[in-house]
Amino acid sequence: MKFYKNLIFIIFISIFASNIIASESDNVSTDSADFNTGNYEDEIFDPLEPVNRAIFSFNNFADKIILEPAAKGYKKLPAPVQSGIGNFLNNLKLPLVVVNQLLQGQGKNAAESSGRFIVNTTAGLFGLIDVAEKIGLEQTQEDFGQTLATWGVGDGFYIVLPIFGPSNVRDTAGMILTYTTDPINAYAVREGEAWLLPLRTATNAIDQRSKIIDEVNALRNNSIDYYAAVRSSYYQNRKAAVLNLDDKSETPLPLISIEFE
Amino acid sequence: MRILYFVIFLSLILPSQSMAQEASKWLKKEIDIILDAYKNESMSNETRFLMIEDTINYNFAGTGIAKFVAGDSWKNANKNTKKEYIKFFKRHLALNIASMMQGYSDQKYSLINSLYDSKNQVTLIDMEIYNDTGSLIVTWRVKKSKERYYVIDLLVADISIVVTKRSEFNSMLKNVNYSLKELNVILKNQNESSYQKLIN
Repeated sequence: MKFYKNLIFIIFISIFASNIIASESDNVSTDSADFNTGNYEDEIFDPLEPVNRAIFSFNNFADKIILEPAAKGYKKLPAPVQSGIGNFLNNLKLPLVVVNQLLQGQGKNAAESSGRFIVNTTAGLFGLIDVAEKIGLEQTQEDFGQTLATWGVGDGFYIVLPIFGPSNVRDTAGMILTYTTDPINAYAVREGEAWLLPLRTATNAIDQRSKIIDEVNALRNNSIDYYAAVRSSYYQNRKAAVLNLDDKSETPLPLISIEFE
Repeated sequence: MRILYFVIFLSLILPSQSMAQEASKWLKKEIDIILDAYKNESMSNETRFLMIEDTINYNFAGTGIAKFVAGDSWKNANKNTKKEYIKFFKRHLALNIASMMQGYSDQKYSLINSLYDSKNQVTLIDMEIYNDTGSLIVTWRVKKSKERYYVIDLLVADISIVVTKRSEFNSMLKNVNYSLKELNVILKNQNESSYQKLIN
């Protein structure tokens, strides 16, 4: 008897739960108030906009004539070569990633990143092969900009840096810290091989740019204000990075009602 | 009693999972229509785009997105301006999506994860696009209404196309004193330029 009671209860709950979810999905509000959900543009403080736009135009021109063609050429290299270069550059970043993870109190991630560095530098032939990923040591990224944000430092205002592109005061400070404290850079300078620094930066830029050729072109060819589109994209991407969000559920999202015509 | 709690838990979770799976199945069908159009070499570029535009317009909550993107300017515009804006915005959205999807047409993909977000009543579907050197995650946000699904946003590397468009349009609207009528002229010209780039 008890079994049947439980069974009836289970069936009731199953039907009831399905109905709740189904009716919620069908009941889409079309109230116009839904659309006045705040002004994203005003969240971005851009007091240097005229100067930033001028630098942005220069960067865009430089991208079209130098970086994009270089990235397209890079894409023609055999895939294992591209992967090897990307893996090698990512591995070089790891010592500072570990430092930033420790500064943010991410002990577990710091241990994993340290493990990645050791495994990839040894078994992965100086980082050319990502052996660590195959054994479950996932790649995570942290930089000084994210660390400063975690410590409560605000964005400051938006800046477009010549060549380096979109940034803000906090992330620019973070970038300077990265360049001045990177142990690999320091070692190269100490050994009299400072020329490796711009080479590393340029190769990294080409490698990163090669991964977003289609996305950048789609944005550039279809924006009514490409500058504003890039500025918004930068802030969304950094916000997600600072909050360590994945792109599934907590990325900033507008609530949009479906409108039937 | 423990079994009972477990079954209650399952009863609450399973419909969400089933909804997420149903949405994924629907989305895969629609994505394949677009990607197959790019693979069909017998189609002219114009025909291909018009077919893709129809698919996008049918499956995206275009009007809702358009109103959100226009922000406060929507309220001050007259009926004809609004109608014209919706028409131009839908084409603008189609051009953006088509342009992006064109880059993915020769790559393999799979829908790796789907999740029903009961708070916002949306399903989030992760699409992993594979290339020779790695992969990229694109997240589709879909909402069910009147027994069918609509895409309400697309996120590439944590960047929402809708939030980006709102920011971009607001920046442009600022230059035209928040006049939707003047924005329509800019939007129309941009659509023409984007269309030419896409079909040539």
